[in-house]
Amino acid sequence: MSKLIWRRLALGVLTLWLISLIVFAAVLALPGDAATAILGKEATPDRVAALRDQLNLNDSVVSQYLQWIGGVVTGSFGESAATQQPVSELLSERVGNSLFLVLIASLVAIPLSIALGVWLAMKRDRPADHIGSTVSLVLAALPEFVIGIGLVLLFATSVFQWFPAVSLLAPGERAWEAPKYVVLPAATLVLAVTPYISRIMRGSMIEVLESEYVTMARLKGLSERTVIWRHAVPNAIVPAIQVAALQLAWMAGGVVVVEFVFSYPGIGPALVEGVANHDMPVVQTVVMLAAAVYVLMNLVADLATILVTPKLRTAAR
Amino acid sequence: MTDPRLEWLDDPVTRRQVLRGALSGAVVLGAGGVLGACGGDDDGGGGGGGGTPAESGGKLKTGGALRVGATGGGAKDSIDAHRPTVDTDIMRCWNLYESLAVRTPDFSELQMLVAESIEAEKSPKTWTVRLKEGVTFHNGKPVTADDVIFSLRRILDPKDPKVGAASIGYVEEKKLKKMDERTVRITLEFANAGFPDDVGQYFNAIVPTDYDPKNPVGTGPFQYKSFTAGQQSEFTKYADYWEEGKPYVDSLTIIDFPDDTARTNALLGGQVDVIDNLPAAQLQNVKSNPNLRVLSSKTGAWQPFTMRVDQAPFDDVRVRQAFRLIVDREQMVQQVLSGQGRIANDLYAPYDPAYADDLPQRQQDLEQAKSLLKQAGREGLSVELVTAPVFQGIVEAAQVFAQQAKGAGVNVKVRKVDSGTFYGDNYLKWTFAQDFWATRVYLSQVAQGDLPESPFNETHWEDPKFIDLIQQARAEVDEGKRADILHEAQTMQYEQGGYIIQYFSNIIDAYSAKLGGFVEAKCGFPFGNYWLKNIGFLA
Repeated sequence: MSKLIWRRLALGVLTLWLISLIVFAAVLALPGDAATAILGKEATPDRVAALRDQLNLNDSVVSQYLQWIGGVVTGSFGESAATQQPVSELLSERVGNSLFLVLIASLVAIPLSIALGVWLAMKRDRPADHIGSTVSLVLAALPEFVIGIGLVLLFATSVFQWFPAVSLLAPGERAWEAPKYVVLPAATLVLAVTPYISRIMRGSMIEVLESEYVTMARLKGLSERTVIWRHAVPNAIVPAIQVAALQLAWMAGGVVVVEFVFSYPGIGPALVEGVANHDMPVVQTVVMLAAAVYVLMNLVADLATILVTPKLRTAAR
Repeated sequence: MTDPRLEWLDDPVTRRQVLRGALSGAVVLGAGGVLGACGGDDDGGGGGGGGTPAESGGKLKTGGALRVGATGGGAKDSIDAHRPTVDTDIMRCWNLYESLAVRTPDFSELQMLVAESIEAEKSPKTWTVRLKEGVTFHNGKPVTADDVIFSLRRILDPKDPKVGAASIGYVEEKKLKKMDERTVRITLEFANAGFPDDVGQYFNAIVPTDYDPKNPVGTGPFQYKSFTAGQQSEFTKYADYWEEGKPYVDSLTIIDFPDDTARTNALLGGQVDVIDNLPAAQLQNVKSNPNLRVLSSKTGAWQPFTMRVDQAPFDDVRVRQAFRLIVDREQMVQQVLSGQGRIANDLYAPYDPAYADDLPQRQQDLEQAKSLLKQAGREGLSVELVTAPVFQGIVEAAQVFAQQAKGAGVNVKVRKVDSGTFYGDNYLKWTFAQDFWATRVYLSQVAQGDLPESPFNETHWEDPKFIDLIQQARAEVDEGKRADILHEAQTMQYEQGGYIIQYFSNIIDAYSAKLGGFVEAKCGFPFGNYWLKNIGFLA
């Protein structure tokens, strides 16, 4: 088991390194550079030249990359090109806010979607099931920013004014100190991921409910509740764990769009602005963080699958 | 303070109105998409909407906390008096600092702020600035001649020129002289009667000799409390502000909104009291909300097409004139600005006393355009128009122009690039592109973009006769004579220039009905010069 973990972690580091190369190349491929992007309308030739000098943009591409990766290895993510502030300082609060948002969204989404999946499986082919399936398909098809705008219209501006439309945290205020600002962004994420998890849960649950051992358990006279929660769900949950982990991993990136819609002070607006400014250190750091979450979630999903599957559990020893 | 959202819930009438608003489409769905929207369904500019114009709003009371949603902003925000670049910076500068003088919001005169007078000596090459008595910095220190000299030197610093260096680069920095505690003599490299307007810009603020942008001190109506780049900045009322009774509110919070939709939603949801630059496409939505007001002000802001007069095909004046005749200006105003603007005549600075308003208004004339192109041997011309989403409506204007050009048999290929490319290596060198400019007086604008030494001469306009006229005008102290010279210069631009100036766009403030003090302005800045000192809660 520990051998497996170490091997997967090593592969993860390799993946992250490859991603850093790709992101670096992608930022370089953007037209213009940090100097022109930062100066905008004021980009007269002499001001551009001065800023390029200041930002070391005249160094070779290889040396720029080596400088950056050298910093990462020694635990420094460099300085933002736009603000000359250390990236770690710029992002630390934002990372906390984003993690909190993802955490709240998962704590709601995972139990909710598993319960929903089970319930739909039990109501299979009845009206509730059809309605549930249609709604979840529609939600799955909608981009998350559309869901977000819909929630704003409904709950913040036009119909009801229950929650703030925009997550205006005061500087230094953390998301968990002002939960009202987290409600709508978290609800958007929940609505975005729940369809996937609940549909897979419904599918595998139906399969399990049709299996012989469930019939056997029912014939044995066990209560329906015991049949479902003790016998069926533990076997049906494996695919749902995989999908849930993938959805959590997706959230690490999907949070960017949702945060932008709500101006939520997480990593999302920082990434959008970083790209607009061609701010390599900021873009690299945010993407690496999201990628690291992705790699970790996949690892966690595999471990969880092993732990709940007796066959794999014993084989992995 | 009660939460306005809860009041909403308790008031059934309001709720019903809100619901009705929602059903009638009072929604904000993303920005952009103004093409073809609201054809004739508008006020055609001017004040008002959603109620009566603000000046009739009643008496203002002292006190209250004002929250303002500002356009854009991000990690590179600055609170430095001399480095404002984006809207949020500019708003902070107007409220925290003051320059010697500034054009009033209606652009009718240069109002003295820190200065008591700015007067030319014998020729407009040497100027004397006399400071007002009793103007103090937020730390209590009175403004002196030393502070003025320090501020001008800081702006001009050749190693690190600030934003204002482009406007007053001709000031002889070494010859700045303190005459007494409240008098400074300023010598220019050449005679320039337009100097008071050049120095009277918000970015040429006066700061104390020990100025530290980390703990910024100015003479403005609000004093610094906190600043977080990309999020918000807080200010408190400066009790010893020189203008009696101002500001009205006790505290001011300026909040960044990189996204137009989020800014409008924050206003609709009551999270901010006022926003600037409401996109014209969202005007109807905000107007239909009974708790909000909008004020659409005509301005002198222009977003021209720029033709390089030294490059084919625009090196032929007939092609330039043909392109100016292609534009259906009225249609542009309707389609691009949703009617929130007015047509222009290929000339800028409409509020300058010397503006040549007697030149005939140019109208679309496709036959004449075709004939000019034929004379120039450019029938069936095909050109690339480079555009980027750097200002509201610019990309849409490019698309409408391409459509209109078809009528004259001209094929305009719109090449939309991102702002990084637009401001990249080809910036100020594009053959045919676009730009955006604020309201200015004529000579200040010429200095920015129409002389060989101008930092932004995007049309590469370098006509010796024009340059000569401008030099004459700068040296001329007699207003009447100067106006004659400037009329001739404008006639040259009207007949040969490289700008297509199709309209002047309006600027729209949107605010809570609880606020008053908004007056229609011409300066092109939100809330009239961003002066939140004039805004207060209704008594």
